[in-house]
Amino acid sequence: MQLDLTKMLAKIKDSQWALADIDWDAPGRELVTENAELYPKLKAFMADLMWIEHVGARGFAAMAKKAPTEELREIYRYFHAEEQKHANAEMALMKRWGMLDDADTLPEPNINIRLVVEWLDTYSDQMPLSVLGSVIPMLEITLDGALCKFLLDTVDDPVCHAAFEKINADEARHLGVDFHVLEMLGHGPLYRQGLEFVAKLLDPRLMIGIASYLPLLNKMRDNLVKLGLKEEKLYEAIRKYERVGGTPGGRRNPWFQLISRQGRWVIDRANWAYHVPVDALVKLTARIPASALPAVPTWVKQLTWKPAA
Amino acid sequence: MNDFRIPTLKRKKKVAAVPATPEPVAEMTTVDVLIVGAGFAGLGTAIRLQQAGVKNIAILERGSEVGGTWRDNQYPGAACDIPSNLYSYSFAQNPEWSRGFSGSREILGYVHQLVQRFDLAPLVRFGQNVVSMDFDEASGRWSVRTDNGQTHRARSVVMAQGPLSNSSWPKISGLETYEGHKIHSARWDHSYDFTGKRVAVVGTGASAIQIVPELVKQAAHVKVFQRTPAWVMPRPDYASPEWSKKLFGRIPRAQTAFRELLYWVHESMAVGVVWTTPVTRLFERLAKLYLRSQVPDPWMRRQLTPEFRLGCKRILISNDWYAALQAPNCQLVTWPIANLAPKGIRTVEGIEHQFDCIVFATGFDVSKSGAPFPVTGLGGRKLDAEWSRGAQAYKSVSVSGYPNVFLTFGPNSGPGHNSALVYMEAQIDYIVQGVKKLLDENLKVLDVRAEVQKAYNAGIQKRLLRTNWNSGCRSWYLTEDGFNSTMYPGLATQYRAQMARFEANDYRTMRAA
Ligand SMILES: Cc1cc2nc3c(=O)[nH]c(=O)nc-3n(C[C@H](O)[C@H](O)[C@H](O)COP(=O)(O)OP(=O)(O)OC[C@H]3O[C@@H](n4cnc5c(N)ncnc54)[C@H](O)[C@@H]3O)c2cc1C
Ligand SMILES: [Fe+2]
Ligand SMILES: [Fe+2]
Repeated sequence: MQLDLTKMLAKIKDSQWALADIDWDAPGRELVTENAELYPKLKAFMADLMWIEHVGARGFAAMAKKAPTEELREIYRYFHAEEQKHANAEMALMKRWGMLDDADTLPEPNINIRLVVEWLDTYSDQMPLSVLGSVIPMLEITLDGALCKFLLDTVDDPVCHAAFEKINADEARHLGVDFHVLEMLGHGPLYRQGLEFVAKLLDPRLMIGIASYLPLLNKMRDNLVKLGLKEEKLYEAIRKYERVGGTPGGRRNPWFQLISRQGRWVIDRANWAYHVPVDALVKLTARIPASALPAVPTWVKQLTWKPAA
Repeated sequence: MNDFRIPTLKRKKKVAAVPATPEPVAEMTTVDVLIVGAGFAGLGTAIRLQQAGVKNIAILERGSEVGGTWRDNQYPGAACDIPSNLYSYSFAQNPEWSRGFSGSREILGYVHQLVQRFDLAPLVRFGQNVVSMDFDEASGRWSVRTDNGQTHRARSVVMAQGPLSNSSWPKISGLETYEGHKIHSARWDHSYDFTGKRVAVVGTGASAIQIVPELVKQAAHVKVFQRTPAWVMPRPDYASPEWSKKLFGRIPRAQTAFRELLYWVHESMAVGVVWTTPVTRLFERLAKLYLRSQVPDPWMRRQLTPEFRLGCKRILISNDWYAALQAPNCQLVTWPIANLAPKGIRTVEGIEHQFDCIVFATGFDVSKSGAPFPVTGLGGRKLDAEWSRGAQAYKSVSVSGYPNVFLTFGPNSGPGHNSALVYMEAQIDYIVQGVKKLLDENLKVLDVRAEVQKAYNAGIQKRLLRTNWNSGCRSWYLTEDGFNSTMYPGLATQYRAQMARFEANDYRTMRAA
């Protein structure tokens, strides 16, 4: 997927929106608040979603320091902020639906997201662009992008639709750049990519990252099922990573190969060699008390549902 | 004094807003040297010219007061970032500097002293905004026009309009829709009371870093909008002890010795600041250690850590910047700005940050690809067109095709590590030699040879490639295309050496009939 980054940056700048553009008090909130069955599940789901925006955000923040051109760095700076905007908008929806326990406390995500955020915050600045640029598209296409779409199938509140129309338009641009970079990363001598790949794979910092990433997909799958959605939808998104990313350049990128291979394992529920240990990891991590984790990084505290500050 | 005198506006020492001189278009008299701009450069040139016996001088100044940079930049906290003893003229030292790094008002006071001490007031004509100048080949005279319709004729012109004299507003969409109070750092509004106000500061460059610590003391809340963090070093500032003032007053040579010391300290820093050497890495480590010691929060520290090589942009010095950013009523915002709205700034994270006042510390329009105003030289050639892809000159002072014109702070004369005034003095003394030649030999044309200028620039550009300024960051030193037409790639000592002698052979001359 080849992209004119100059035009893309101009388009990103032209497509800016603010929380103030949406009327958060418009009618329709009862479509959620009066759905007793959906409400508690949606509350947990929204909290997760908000934090998944953060996963993307922190990834983009790291990439903004590593991109090879000033243009791409600027694009990533924007994407980082846009993910924060998505999280802010999702928090505003939670506020609208009375899902914030108290106006100023952040909702708590599930532990697997926390672990990934924690890892990103500690190590992403030290990871090369090849790793981040390959895994971020997977996270975006399966979680950031796809979860938002699923939500619209479940929720009828027009304000939710108004907000996600904007968010999804942003995500379309994110994916465009994500896959452009994935392709770009495959250029350059194969042997060098291979060497770097092997060296990096053995890096214990990355191993911790993989160990926090694997259970996340399974956990989100379980959550979708709980929400009454078909897990098949998630699988479609995972397949899309392989399909869209599988350009000549993409296929030359060993990280792409690894991530799409893992995607296939996730999809294949019969693959017990993958699912038994990973599901065990989900269970195991669920027992980690939140207090065992370090305090959330300070950037998280900038989240707000208030359109004006 | 010369028998000739231009009618000047008699002024007391300090007058607010003097209207443009309401004179009829006087009969055209010709001065020997016309100087554009009454900042450090223009006034310094006038002083040295007079000392060399050139008296028929006029200075055109568009403002109503002398001082340039230091008249315009009166924001709270404004100060020089080169020690005052070096940021002053060696031929007019000031034993009275109250601090190591003096504030803007004190520097302005020093400029006023220069005017008094060297009797420059009669030369300066205020309210004269130069809009164009044309060379008449037949007479060998420049016609300099101002925006009030006057034309001044001169045998030579010194363009000393300053590199940083035109403040620039950022290109943010919706800038005009904002309904609150707007202030530019270089046009400070002293009537505005910040007490209890919600204030934004846009920009984190040399000015912002001085403004924010002051505003934080006064305003209810300050949000600082940062695009790119700079390298920041602590500032070794101090209040001058009485004994040193006395000593410097009584024994000027002691002050000269101190100035020399400061000079060499700055020269030695070029090793790390101008070129990439192990010293650059050392400075970067020191700056990071300083940041670490000041900012405990890792995320904030990350946001304040520069990604470009030290020296690529101006290094900032401050002792209170990091502390101010962490004050309870201050917040650093690193989200990109999307646009301005009637009540404030909308950033890309979707939030509208609302303010009573926005301070723009966004710098200046630097004419690095174009002339500051239309200049027409030999055969109708236009400086603006010739400089459209990057300004070029010979030794930063002369431009081929524009005879009898001299520039201060011209192309590739900027220092990254030393006092601008050191460079300026070297330019001025060179200009004095050029003017003397022009007058003594009664020349109509003194024009640097095109091939000499070309060879000089080839050398400069080649040397620039190895400097930190050209190491990949985006800065106001470079044009949009990355051409460096502002900085001098070397030591001040090298620059002074190249300026020491006016090489007549480099110039084409033509005698007046
Ligand atoms: C905030 C700030 C801090 C600085 N600190 C330092 C420092 O610490 N150390 C250092 O070495 N350098 C510093 N500089 C750089 C500084 O610009 C130079 O050191 C020096 O003051 C420049 O003097 P100048 O006379 O060339 O220009 P200016 O001081 O800008 O004077 C130019 C004069 O020309 C007038 N003028 C402009 N255009 C026209 C026109 N068309 N017609 C008529 N008149 C005109 C202007 O009104 C002005 O009075 C600083 C600059 C700024 C902005
Ligand atoms: Fe998102
Ligand atoms: Fe995204």
